[in-house]
Amino acid sequence: MFQLAPNHQDDIVRTAKIRFTFDGESFLAHEGETLAAALMRAKLLHIRDAPGDESPRGVFCCMGLCQECVVQVDGKTIESCRLSVSPDLHVTSLRRQLDT
Amino acid sequence: MGCASALQMAEGGMKSIVLDQGDLGQGASGVNAGTLSLQIKRVKLMPYAIRGHQEWESMGDAVGFRKTGGYTLAFTDHEAELLHERMSLKAEAGAPIEFVSNSALREAEPNLADQVVAASYCAEDGYANSSLTGQFYRARLKQQGVQYREGFKLLGVEAGNDGYVIRSANTTVSARKLLFSAGAWLKSLTALMGVELPVQARVNTVSVTERLPMLTRSVIGHATGLLTMKQKANGTLLIGGGWQGRGTPEQGRGQVDTDSLRSNLALARHALPAAENARILRSWTGFEAHVPDFYPLAGKLPGYEDVFVLGCVRGGYTIGPYIGKLMGDYILERTTELPLFNPGRSFPEVVV
Repeated sequence: MFQLAPNHQDDIVRTAKIRFTFDGESFLAHEGETLAAALMRAKLLHIRDAPGDESPRGVFCCMGLCQECVVQVDGKTIESCRLSVSPDLHVTSLRRQLDT
Repeated sequence: MGCASALQMAEGGMKSIVLDQGDLGQGASGVNAGTLSLQIKRVKLMPYAIRGHQEWESMGDAVGFRKTGGYTLAFTDHEAELLHERMSLKAEAGAPIEFVSNSALREAEPNLADQVVAASYCAEDGYANSSLTGQFYRARLKQQGVQYREGFKLLGVEAGNDGYVIRSANTTVSARKLLFSAGAWLKSLTALMGVELPVQARVNTVSVTERLPMLTRSVIGHATGLLTMKQKANGTLLIGGGWQGRGTPEQGRGQVDTDSLRSNLALARHALPAAENARILRSWTGFEAHVPDFYPLAGKLPGYEDVFVLGCVRGGYTIGPYIGKLMGDYILERTTELPLFNPGRSFPEVVV
């Protein structure tokens, strides 16, 4: 039958908490975790808008394929699921910003 | 093409089996850009291409067929001259190609480059989704009760009591007649039969962008033939044009060449400036086989009465389903609607 595994939560050692900004607002993340994970924990689910009908989009595949979680960092568009959070990370979202 | 032949043979009452070294439709049929354009077909192959278009249209949604119309652009006077010369010949050969004014082009495709000097249009042009080729034909084979084996690595062919015995590592298949239809891998297969065919492979590059707002509705080409571009319903742009990657069919799948890809994308950006900042998600290559005169191999393997070859069809994705049927008819000893192309003809010397 099913056996409950002991709760190891307290044994998990996380990396240091650091701050990053998302559209100018400051949030906490663990250094080295993916930006996608940090955004989800911060309850930031609306990451960008669909290029066609501009409906809201968020993290979906978490493996760099679907492009739904792309953000801009230093002028470059990059998948947040493939970006590790580091100190002094400033993220700009692609919400309602497509001008083409 | 091989699947189309097998289906035609089945229709004519001949029992056939398709043996594929990989999965069905995963060679050139499954990795090309899916462009169905009469504007990039060879004049002499136009009757085949027109019938090929009809085949794709009848397959419809199952292969992602869309008849969008297509524009071919010229950006300089020299390219305009080239465009007029080429498209006039293709129109004479039966393709419904017309030249369009800049204002008509602008109205239909407002996001294209301003610098267009001349443009041609063909209402028959469009595309299908090449990644659906394999599953389409697999379903048709099943439906028609035609056997097929995927992952069949052919090791040898021997003459049997009544035809041939085809051997893989763990099985043999006997057949009275053989058809080799293996694209860029034809050369090594026919070599097994002791016949050297001058098959060469181009390593064509295709790329897909992230999804973009709708920028273009038509298939876009360039007078030199070095660009095909279309925006799919999901917003991604598919960019091709026959830019060369690296590798050989014997070595595997081939690799994308960065410099070549850059030029390909520069031309795409030039044609559609609005896509300038689009990110490329994937680029890949596929092998397009040809012989020195760039006409198909479609007929009997030289020296054999019951071994056939089909391949090296320039514009093979478009023409494949049709010429495959013709090949089926030929093997059934029926009169073919259009002539085939004798693989035993003499070829011009290959200049390396």
